[in-house]
Amino acid sequence: MNDPTLLPPCAEFEFDLVEMVDGTLPAERARTTRAHLEGCARCRAWQADYARLDAGLMAALPRPALLADFDARLQGRLAAETRRAVGADLRTQVESDYRSLVDSLRSGARRSVLLSAGTMAVAALGAAILLPVVWPGAGAALAALDPVQRATVLGGIGGAVALAALGWSAMQGALPGVRLGA
Amino acid sequence: MDAGIEEHLAAGRHARAFDLVVPAFRDRVFRLAYSILKDRAAAEDAAQETFVRIWKALPGFDGRAQLGTWIFAITRNTCLMELRRRRPTVSFDDPDSAEAQHAAAAIATGPAEDPERENLLRLVDTLPRNQQEAVRLFYLEDRSYEAVAEQLDMPLGTVKNLLHRARKRLMELAQPAEVKAA
Repeated sequence: MNDPTLLPPCAEFEFDLVEMVDGTLPAERARTTRAHLEGCARCRAWQADYARLDAGLMAALPRPALLADFDARLQGRLAAETRRAVGADLRTQVESDYRSLVDSLRSGARRSVLLSAGTMAVAALGAAILLPVVWPGAGAALAALDPVQRATVLGGIGGAVALAALGWSAMQGALPGVRLGA
Repeated sequence: MDAGIEEHLAAGRHARAFDLVVPAFRDRVFRLAYSILKDRAAAEDAAQETFVRIWKALPGFDGRAQLGTWIFAITRNTCLMELRRRRPTVSFDDPDSAEAQHAAAAIATGPAEDPERENLLRLVDTLPRNQQEAVRLFYLEDRSYEAVAEQLDMPLGTVKNLLHRARKRLMELAQPAEVKAA
């Protein structure tokens, strides 16, 4: 270092001295600063030290460069990211399809059960209405039975209707997990 | 911003825009990463990671900020995450701390056979982190205040002040011990 007393430069010129070293000082201020430097040994010494440090840093600080395969490696990473993103999209799509299938099965099953119950009720009502017409003696025959026999007969008819409705639902594929026929 | 990049972004052609972004920014992104991480390989990894993030986020870039400002912000965040991930070491962020003073003294009065360059690099390492980054970047960017201001997202005057304080501090630290004691 030039000045062992380490005296600072004149405060009003400090930044201009730096900018002069950096080469960014406007021409007019550069003229004024040069005029000051001619008469100020302290500022000259300080600026010389500053310029030496600047040159030292310029030479000392590493200036690494990217490796030549930077772009190729980046493309590789982006391709991997794309594959990962596509895989994730596919998984999301499959999960979404599965959820909607389950939802539709559930709502379809509910609808079918309600339909089956309705059909069964209509069939039972129809049977009750039509039976006396088809078999006029049915009322008398039922009346002739004892209560246990009458309950067995009516229960049998009801059960047969229920089984028929259940079978029909299964044939339509409306019962989850049960599929009859083609 | 490159007019071609702007055009592609406006038209929603993000892949085409990205193809232009990489060559336009890769070196500056790498140099910024190096100024923060101080390690060539780590800086290159951070640059790769930065571009992967840019590639993912580019469709959401709304143009409210300058593209360069946005890219350098992603770079800084990527590097800061890397720094956080690393094991914490002794900090010299406060140049007046006992550790920093001790380290600086040990460096400045170190063995006579230490090359001047090595000494200067170690002195740079004793500066507060923001000053270190600015100094490294300034010399990596061929002493361009504007480039440092853009990459660190700071006003030009702030960058000039930061660099001035850093280099004044380096001048003080570089003084031989006997001159400092005088």
